[in-house]
Amino acid sequence: MHDSPALDISGIEKAFGTQRALDRVGFTVPRGGIFGLLGPNGAGKTTLLRMLNGITAPDAGEISFFGERLARHHLAQIGYLPEERGLYKSMRVGEQALYFAQLRGMDKREARTKLRGWFERLEVDGWWNKEVSEVSKGMAQKIQFILSVLHEPRLLILDEPLSGFDPINAQRVRDVIMDLRAEGKTTILLSTHDMGSVEELCDEVALLNHGQLVLHGAVPELREAARDGRVEVTFRDSVMAFTVALGASAELLHVAEKANVRGEHQAMLRLPAQTDPAEWLHWISGQVALTSCKPWQPGMREIFIKAVEKQIPTTA
Amino acid sequence: MSRLKHIIFREWYTRVRRRAFILGTLLIPVLMAGLIGLVVWMERAETEHHKVLVADLAGLVSYEDSTLRAWVPICPDCFPERGNLEYRFAERALDDEAFLASDYTMMVFFDDGILQHASAKFVYDRAPSLSVQNYVERDLSAAIERFKVKEELALDYATYKRLKTKVSLLGEDVVTKDGNATGRTAIGFLFSFFMFIQILVYGMHVMRGVIEEKANRIVEVVISVVKPIELMTGKIIGIGLVGVTQVVALSLLGFLVFQVGGVSLEMTGMLQAAANDNVNVDFETWMASNDAVGFLLDVNWPLMVGSALVYFVAGFFMYAAVFAAIGSAVDNESDAQYLMLPAMLPLMASYLIAAMAMENPEGQIAFIGSFVPFTAPILMLIRLPLGVAWWELAVSLAGVIATAYILVVLSARIFRTGILMHGKKVTFKELVRWLRHD
Repeated sequence: MHDSPALDISGIEKAFGTQRALDRVGFTVPRGGIFGLLGPNGAGKTTLLRMLNGITAPDAGEISFFGERLARHHLAQIGYLPEERGLYKSMRVGEQALYFAQLRGMDKREARTKLRGWFERLEVDGWWNKEVSEVSKGMAQKIQFILSVLHEPRLLILDEPLSGFDPINAQRVRDVIMDLRAEGKTTILLSTHDMGSVEELCDEVALLNHGQLVLHGAVPELREAARDGRVEVTFRDSVMAFTVALGASAELLHVAEKANVRGEHQAMLRLPAQTDPAEWLHWISGQVALTSCKPWQPGMREIFIKAVEKQIPTTA
Repeated sequence: MSRLKHIIFREWYTRVRRRAFILGTLLIPVLMAGLIGLVVWMERAETEHHKVLVADLAGLVSYEDSTLRAWVPICPDCFPERGNLEYRFAERALDDEAFLASDYTMMVFFDDGILQHASAKFVYDRAPSLSVQNYVERDLSAAIERFKVKEELALDYATYKRLKTKVSLLGEDVVTKDGNATGRTAIGFLFSFFMFIQILVYGMHVMRGVIEEKANRIVEVVISVVKPIELMTGKIIGIGLVGVTQVVALSLLGFLVFQVGGVSLEMTGMLQAAANDNVNVDFETWMASNDAVGFLLDVNWPLMVGSALVYFVAGFFMYAAVFAAIGSAVDNESDAQYLMLPAMLPLMASYLIAAMAMENPEGQIAFIGSFVPFTAPILMLIRLPLGVAWWELAVSLAGVIATAYILVVLSARIFRTGILMHGKKVTFKELVRWLRHD
C-alpha cells in the first residue's frame, strides 16, 4: 500500500452521447513528483480531471488513489485548481478563503493561521479585507492557487496554473510548485499547454489525443527516445565553404547566421543512420572551423506535435 | 452536513448584509406607511372651497324667503353645510359672463324635466373634484326625492324617511360564529400575495445565484468539494432563509409600529375621540369596538403565521428547485426566459385564482386549488382565516412537501449536468435527457 502510486488509472471510458471523451485510458502517476497531463483541446483532459475530482464518473474502468479505490472521502485529500476558475464577487478575499477552507473540512482558526502564511508567501497579505471585485486578475489567480493548496492535499491537480500571470508572478508560483515537490508530501498533476513548463517542472507526462493515451513516460526518456540523428553545429566559415566541405556526408536541413555573433553560423544536419557520429565529427573538424557540435534533442513541444500528428499510441 | 451548513450560511450572510436588503427591508414599512399617509393627505388636501349656485328654474327645491329676501332651500337638511362646499339658490340661471364675474365656482340648473329624466346640467370655471360632484348629486337627489314624496304622494317627508328601509346583510358562520368573513378573506389574500411575492423574488434570487456561480466558473471548485445536490440544497435553504429573515424583520417592525402607534393613539386621546365616548379606552378595546378593524383580533395569528411559514418553506423549495435547475441549464439570464415560462405559469395562476377567490373564498376553485401542490401554498392561505379542517391542512401540506421533495431530486439531476455545460443553448428535449440520466 505504501509503495502504491498516487494514481493508478486503468481502462477508463467515458462517452457523452455518441462522442467518446475517453477511450480505455490507463496510466499511473507516481508519488511525490510532478506529472504532466498533456493533450490538445478536446483531448479528454478536463473530463479525466473531473473524474479525479468526483465531478463526473467513468462509464468503465477504475481509478486508485494511493492504493485505494477512489471514493468521495478521498476528495478532502485532493486540491484542484481548474482552468476555468473564479471567485465570489460579493465576498471579501479573506472570508472567501476561509469559506473554501471550511468546505474542505478545515478548522476556522487553523485555516486562518495557514492562510496568513500563504498570503504572505504569495504577497497578497494586504488584500484580506478587500472585495473580490476590487482585486486584479493576477491577484485573484494567486488566491485561487492558495485555495487549492491550503489544506495540504496529497494530490494537487493544477489545470493551466500559470496562465494569466505576468512573468514575475508566474515564476513565484512556479517556485512554490517546485517547493511542494521538494517537500515530497504532495503529488502534483499538472495539465498545461505550456511545453516550457512541462520541460522545466514535470518528471513524467501522459499525452491524450481524441480520448486516447498516445504517449506516456518520463520526460528525459521521451526526449532521448525522440532523437532522430539530427546534429546541431556552429561554425566560423562561410556557408559556401561549409556546404562544399559537407558534401554528401550529411543532409543539411537548415543554416543561418547566429544571432548577435557576426561571421558565425548555426546549422542543423541529419547524419545517415550508418554514420558513426564521433568519426564524422573528427572528419568535419578538419574541414571547417567548428565552434560547437551536439546531438539535437527534441523539446516537449516537438514531441507533442509529432505524437498528435502521428496519433500512433507509443510508450517509452 | 457541516459543508451544507457553510453553504447555507454563505448564501444567507452575503445577501442579508447587503445594503440593498437592509434598506429594502426597512423601507417596506416606511413605504407602506407613506402610501397610507399619501392617501389620507390627498383626501384631506381636498380643501378647495366650492360655492355652488343651484338655479331651480321650476322652484322644486327652493323658495324665496320674504323676510330674508333670498332664495333658500325648502329642505335645509338636504343641503348640509360642508367645510368646502356651500350652496346658494336662485330662480334663474346666470349667463356665462355673469357666472364668470361671480364668486360661484359651479352652477347647477334644472327645470321640472328633472322629475322625469333625473338629470341636471352644471357649469364650472374650475372643474370640481369627483367627491364634490358626488356631494352635489347626493344632496340634489335627496331634495328632489323629498319634492316627489311630498308633492306626488302627499306624504310627510319625515314619515317617508322613517318608512324608507335599507337592509344590510350581517353574516355569521353557523359553526365558528364568525361574522367577519370578508375582513378575514382580505387578511388571507394579503398572506397569499406576500407568499407569491416572496416565492417569486427569492426563487429568482436562486436562479441568479446559480447563473452567477456558473458564469464566473467558481462552481467547478465548489462541486469538487461538495455534491451538486448539496450545493443546490444549500443555496435554496440559504436564500429561503433570507426571505424568512425579511418576514421576521417585517413582522417585528410591524409589531413595533402597532404597539408604538397604539400607545401614541391612547396617549393623545385620539381613541377617546374616535370612540365618541367620554371614557378612556385602550387600543385593543378600541379595535374590538371598531367594525372596520375589529376582525383583526379574531384572526388566529399563530396558526396563520405558522402555516404561512411551513407553506413558504415547502412551496419555496418546490419552486426554487425548478429555478435552480433552469439557472444551471443556461449561461445568462436572457437565455432563461423561455425556460422560465412553464415554471412561472402555476405561480402566476395561483395569484390570479387567489385574486378571484377574494370574491368567493369557499368556492370550488379555491378549494381545489388549495390541494394542488403547485397552487396550495398560495391558495390555502386565503382559505385558512375562514377556518379549515385539520385534515385538509394536513393533506394539502403533505402534497406540497412530497412534490417539493420530488422536484428537488429531479432538479438536482438537471443541475449536476447543466452546471458544467457552457456555451450551449439547452432545449427541453435535452433537459428531459438529463433528467433520465441517472
